[in-house]
Amino acid sequence: MGEENRAGYNIDGILREMRDEYWQGLDAVEEEAEEQLECITFSLGGETYAFETIYAAEVLRIPRLVKIPKVQELIVGVFNLRGEIVAAMDIRPLLGLPQSTFGPAGRIIVVKGEKFNTGILVESVKGVTALPLDSFEVAVKSLSDAQRDYLRGQLQLPDGLVILLDIKRLLGAPEIVVNHG
Amino acid sequence: MSGKYLDIFLREAEEHLTSLQQGVLRLEKEPDNKVLIHELLRNAHTLKGSARMLGFEGVSNVAHRLEDLLKEMEEGVREVDESATDVLLRGSDAISRLVGAMAKGEPPPFLVDEFLAALDRGEVAGMDVTASPGTEEEGLGDTVRARVRTLDSMVNLLGELIINKKRLENRVNDLKSLVRSTGGSPSFRELGQFHRDLEEDVLYLDYIIQELHGEAMALRMLPLRTITDGFQRLVRDLSRAQGKEVELVIDGEGIELDRVLLESLKPMFLHMLTNAVDHGIEPPDVRKMHGKKGKAAITISARHEGDSVQIVVRDDGRGMDPDRIKQAALRRGVIDKEEAELLRDDEVIYLTLRPGFSTSETVTDVSGRGVGLDVVQKNLERVKGTLSIRSAVGAGTEITLKLPMSLSVVEALLVGCSGESYAIPVSYVLETIKVRSEDIVTVGGKEVVSLRGVTVPLVSLAVLFGLPEQKTLLETGKVTAVVLRLREQLLACTVDRHLGSGEIVVKQLGSQMKKVTFIFGATILGDGNPALILNVPDLFAHAEGTTTTGFRQAFAEQEATRVRGRLLVVDDSITTRTMERSILVSHGYQVEVAISGEDALEKVAGFQFDLVVSDVEMPGINGFELARRLRGMENYRDVPIIIVSSLSRDEHKRQALDAGAQAYIVKGSFDQGTLLDTVESLIG
Repeated sequence: MGEENRAGYNIDGILREMRDEYWQGLDAVEEEAEEQLECITFSLGGETYAFETIYAAEVLRIPRLVKIPKVQELIVGVFNLRGEIVAAMDIRPLLGLPQSTFGPAGRIIVVKGEKFNTGILVESVKGVTALPLDSFEVAVKSLSDAQRDYLRGQLQLPDGLVILLDIKRLLGAPEIVVNHG
Repeated sequence: MSGKYLDIFLREAEEHLTSLQQGVLRLEKEPDNKVLIHELLRNAHTLKGSARMLGFEGVSNVAHRLEDLLKEMEEGVREVDESATDVLLRGSDAISRLVGAMAKGEPPPFLVDEFLAALDRGEVAGMDVTASPGTEEEGLGDTVRARVRTLDSMVNLLGELIINKKRLENRVNDLKSLVRSTGGSPSFRELGQFHRDLEEDVLYLDYIIQELHGEAMALRMLPLRTITDGFQRLVRDLSRAQGKEVELVIDGEGIELDRVLLESLKPMFLHMLTNAVDHGIEPPDVRKMHGKKGKAAITISARHEGDSVQIVVRDDGRGMDPDRIKQAALRRGVIDKEEAELLRDDEVIYLTLRPGFSTSETVTDVSGRGVGLDVVQKNLERVKGTLSIRSAVGAGTEITLKLPMSLSVVEALLVGCSGESYAIPVSYVLETIKVRSEDIVTVGGKEVVSLRGVTVPLVSLAVLFGLPEQKTLLETGKVTAVVLRLREQLLACTVDRHLGSGEIVVKQLGSQMKKVTFIFGATILGDGNPALILNVPDLFAHAEGTTTTGFRQAFAEQEATRVRGRLLVVDDSITTRTMERSILVSHGYQVEVAISGEDALEKVAGFQFDLVVSDVEMPGINGFELARRLRGMENYRDVPIIIVSSLSRDEHKRQALDAGAQAYIVKGSFDQGTLLDTVESLIG
């Protein structure tokens, strides 16, 4: 205690500041809560895609992926996520995107689904951004209906187009499940 | 009502029902056992009380009736005879069904009042309140009951782990200060001391982990009793319904197995028992005629055998007749005549394991539902167990199941193949061998090796999995093969190398990969990367389908110093394509394949082939059209064309020749000789 006083510590002042910041923060959140969607943005097929951060558990560098024989191309392999065996998927074919190899910027976004955790391979992760949900418009990409099924919409931002994935639908898609019955 | 109380009640009811059922069956054998009657009385009473507390009138009323009946028995007012025990059993069945419906949140499956009225009238036999045996699919639940002592011990060990971690941290600090104090060059003595300390910590860590692992695994184990409890009843009811007398003896009920294993065992047992009663055991008069006791015996005995548990189900019934089985198998098309002649009697018995086989001549209510032992077999494969059958006509049948004690840890052989590591459970591995190119023989288009006089099919794991072929192996002229055994069958599977064996922890692939052909699960290797665990029965199943291992062919390719000719094979079927290609390649031809007429035209534009082999019926341009177009091209005017087709009419042959083909081979008579001869006669 004495030490702090000597250093000119004013604990009351600091606490007050913190409290003010807290309330300001709360106000800010309240103002925007209705229209903002916190999303992780990443690059696929050279385009920018996004989905809600609540689904993203973590982002990893791409580890060694162990190939599973005779499964759909989409399932690139499995990796060890702290003792759990998790699949890594290249979802680009589902979205009609070209498949270039994943470079050093390539990452896996681990996604928590209802039934399983899975990894989505991306060319790079751009960051976490709050996107205004109301400004999204229907995705106008020239896509087949099947591909469009996985998209919720798109948004023109100053630095480019962001396409919002329907991650829930993607996780529920039979295409990503291996069941040789 | 709160679900918590319902849960508690359901669990309690289940316990009382089990002891009721067990007790009544015992009572049949010991009708004068007053202590037992009293115990049953207590069960019924408790059930009644608990049900009433929660307002389950139906259960409470039936339990009350049972209680009354038992009281009369205890007081000697009512005789303990078959009709009385029947009422008790029916009553407990009824409660069981009511409780079952409750658990699922369904309405009562029958009217309790009517049931009680029928019970009073003594019409117990006609009441169908039992669910048919085998259809109830009850799991062992996803909760574990652990002794507090076990939990305490685990918490204790975890505490030790934390202490150990602190000690390791201290070692890190020790090393840091050692380096600092000695100016970066510690003496041998100092380093030696540090080494010993560290070694001690690691040893202790190893000990704690082993203990913890053991305790955690033990939590997964349950005694066999958990599933055999209902079997007495099942056998009793079944045999009575068929006028047979059977005594079921269960031995080794205390042996513990992994809960997942037990769960999958139950349907197997149900199946084997119904099978035994239904098909194996003869009616009493027939038995007596053959000099046997009228009352038949079925025994289930379980015992430990090394790392596994062996369970034998034995009956003293009529046994399996190899001739009858063979006839039935032929009739049902399970085997063909040739195969029938080759089979030995002890092999014939295993035909009953094949899908589509069922020996019962008439479909009975009990087991002849078109499913046979193949179901048992399938379930067993899933848990990496093995099954063997011994049977003597007139004397009985013995089915032996060999099961791993735990599914979580298995002994496995690690092999490397095309850059990946795979684990194969050693229970399937006979040995690993080196195969030289001259050891490989082709029989009927398939490659085999001879192992101490036994012919063993050879497949390449890489080819089976569609992985890139291991070219480096060819340089040495030798390949490593793992010889696998599944029941009486053998299979040699080539791999890049074997990497030793050891215990591995089995992990599931998770629900994204519910069922993957060839793969049972995965384990984590020392380097932190996963390795897939192979599903050996799948390897056997798919090995039959592959046309070639590619090894003999690859060896041949290597050996062929000169290319005899460059051929284009056109076929939309991958099987035909691959087969034709491998035949031709193994005889020194260089072969390119095309998957359609269009593809072929593209390929001939860029390369001058010496001969073209084509199918007729393909999507797009057919073989005749392809021949015609080739004939119209300057470079291909004189290149021989062979048409291979399943169309066998003369008219088609004429069409082919008109289109410009030199030869026409019918697929039905297609064997490698014909194709080779034709190619050789055309281009040498």
